[in-house]
Amino acid sequence: MKSKISVFLIVLLLAMSMTVFANGDKETAAPAADAAPAAAQPGPARTINVLLWDDPYPKALQAMLPEFTAATGITVNIEMLQPPQVLTKTAVAVTATSTDYDVVGIDEGNVPVFASLLEPFNNWPAGKFYPKTDPNSVTPKMYSIGTWNGVQLGIPINGNLYVWMTRKDLIENPQYKQQFKAKYGYDLGIPKTFQELLDMGTFFHTNGIASGFGPFNGGPAGVLSEAVFMWESFGTKFIDYVDGTFKVVLNEDRAVEGIEFYKKLMAISPAGAETMAHVERQAAFAADPKGVFSMFIWPAQIAAYENPDTSMVAGKIAYSAPPAGPRGQAAVTGAWALAIPSASKNKDAAAEFIYWWSSKSVADRLVQANTIPARTESLTNPAFTASKPQLPALAASMQVAASRPRFKEIGQVQDVVKNYWIKGITGAMPTRDAIRAIVKETNEILQKAGY
Amino acid sequence: MKSSRRQATKPSGVVALQRAGGRGSPVPFLLPALLIVFAVLIFPILFSFVVSLFDWPLSAGGGERSFVGLGNYSELFRDPGFWNSLLLQLGFIFIAIPLELVLGLGAALLLNREFRGGRVIRALMLLPVFFLPVVSGMTWRFMLQPRYGALNNLLVNIGLPEITWLANAGTAYAAIIMQDIWRMWPFVFMLLYAGLAGIPTELLEAAEIDGANFSKRLFKIILPLLYPTILTALLLRIIDALRIFSEVYVMTEGGPGMATTLFSLYTHRIAFGHMKVGLSSAMAIFLLIISIVFAITLVRKNMSLEQLEERGGGQ
Repeated sequence: MKSKISVFLIVLLLAMSMTVFANGDKETAAPAADAAPAAAQPGPARTINVLLWDDPYPKALQAMLPEFTAATGITVNIEMLQPPQVLTKTAVAVTATSTDYDVVGIDEGNVPVFASLLEPFNNWPAGKFYPKTDPNSVTPKMYSIGTWNGVQLGIPINGNLYVWMTRKDLIENPQYKQQFKAKYGYDLGIPKTFQELLDMGTFFHTNGIASGFGPFNGGPAGVLSEAVFMWESFGTKFIDYVDGTFKVVLNEDRAVEGIEFYKKLMAISPAGAETMAHVERQAAFAADPKGVFSMFIWPAQIAAYENPDTSMVAGKIAYSAPPAGPRGQAAVTGAWALAIPSASKNKDAAAEFIYWWSSKSVADRLVQANTIPARTESLTNPAFTASKPQLPALAASMQVAASRPRFKEIGQVQDVVKNYWIKGITGAMPTRDAIRAIVKETNEILQKAGY
Repeated sequence: MKSSRRQATKPSGVVALQRAGGRGSPVPFLLPALLIVFAVLIFPILFSFVVSLFDWPLSAGGGERSFVGLGNYSELFRDPGFWNSLLLQLGFIFIAIPLELVLGLGAALLLNREFRGGRVIRALMLLPVFFLPVVSGMTWRFMLQPRYGALNNLLVNIGLPEITWLANAGTAYAAIIMQDIWRMWPFVFMLLYAGLAGIPTELLEAAEIDGANFSKRLFKIILPLLYPTILTALLLRIIDALRIFSEVYVMTEGGPGMATTLFSLYTHRIAFGHMKVGLSSAMAIFLLIISIVFAITLVRKNMSLEQLEERGGGQ
């Protein structure tokens, strides 16, 4: 009898869950637009929830929030998570019909992934307290990261892309300068080409002064950045939008050259470089007495490297655009866009918050806090560039900005690249075989996705 | 004894009701509890199974999903990443758990006596079990770093070369196993120590008087009597090890490459990297089936031991 009841209950629950789950196709109507009061005085107290990535940039903003709340009556609950967790949380908490957040920070690569759930920028209500963000205020190379299929879905909020760091104390050391010139026949300085990077890095590495290079091999998205950086510098794109569809356009020979050169850089990198993520890179560059001669940085992290309380190289870093490869120069972008989920019931308050954040006044103060907003006039303001050496470097990097491929299935492609890139650079697989495997498996993913 | 036990269990609720003077079926009394059990324990599993029958791209925000039947399972079995993660997972279990058992048993035998400070030592040995898995993973990640990692410092100080533990596929896999052994062998020790304490000392003393040396006492008395406890420890550890996630995620994120992408890490990646919830649910159901197979095998083994004991007792 008991077993019959159990079977009955299982069948009943199975049927219930099937019924509930199968109804997922039904779309509910979008919430009606809020009515707009005319006066620009603080409105009734309201609260919005915001999901952001955890780094010094949003933290610097957090200190300014009381001013926004005082002006608008809108309280902002900010939740900051590590970038992979932002993706996870967004995927679960934002749906077509409901959302836990009124504003979400979206890594540029994931804008296509969530495109169908985001309110197009054109539909965002006009601000009552702050003017709607002018797209032209955003640095042009950064602007496109908030768009998908020609629709603006989010406002790029940080100017995050590869900026190069070189140890100023090393390249200005008279003894090293003399020894280097004697050996290589040219001046020690900020590496402008890959060959210079290799020469100088090898000089410091073989003399036991510092490691020559700091690679970035942490996580699938990070590995794809490095791969795109090398391939673009060696003159080949990975995936391109051709004839209305995505195609793998990787030139095998140039891609192999890129990996082979990266292997040379790996040889002058700190031990354990094969899995260096941000935490290890920062420890190696900023906390190891020996340190690293030269490597890229996401500008969003510069504040941590320039903090004398936590960094041994604060004030000793020279910034520049990345060195040029044999056939090109590339600064990979890794910016974030602020977007409003279509299901948000506080779109006007959410938009107000974004307009405030992207305003000139806030951007200027964020620059002074050693962070990098995407607003062009703040990044190029002479009043700041004199005291913030990273800003001219950032502007130079933006001239050669290169984006990672963006489409919904990018997560699968990242895994493929990560798997074979690591095998290639560690010698676990011949580099040509690794490239062929990347091309083959990426093509399979694209075909399956219908591109 | 056997018959009295049967009488007490066979008609169960009916007998109890009749003894209490009640009539009718016990089902109405059981129903609320059963409903709660089904809602809390069974429904999530069934829901997961139902999800596994759908193609549900999470990026669509829960709106778009289509019934694909067993399509996700078919896709899973054609995915080399799935087999890679399964192989890594099983390897992890078959390497880590036997070592934990050996260490746990050794320590339990060693400490199964009273001596000055014994209680403190036994308590201290349990500390790693109480470590948060995330903290354990992070601690090991830093300990294994070249240059500033404690383990490499030790190696260098005794004249050995540095090892880039987490940068090499083989050593990274070994490192996550080491971490698990470090954290969980005291748990096995705790169970086996309790089991050892339950073995009648008269038996061991009698064997000793009869001239049985330690090896004989171990293999003829201690291990046979400890066998049910060992099986229980094995079952608990296997179920726990099948679900291992956070330590490995923090230590290696599944790398280098896919070298430490265990089953649960791959399931997570499929769900939140590839945004395929249906496929990841199929993986979860597959993991559940593996767990059930392990559980049934070990529980049956344990029950057959009890039956043997009962028969022995009746004779």
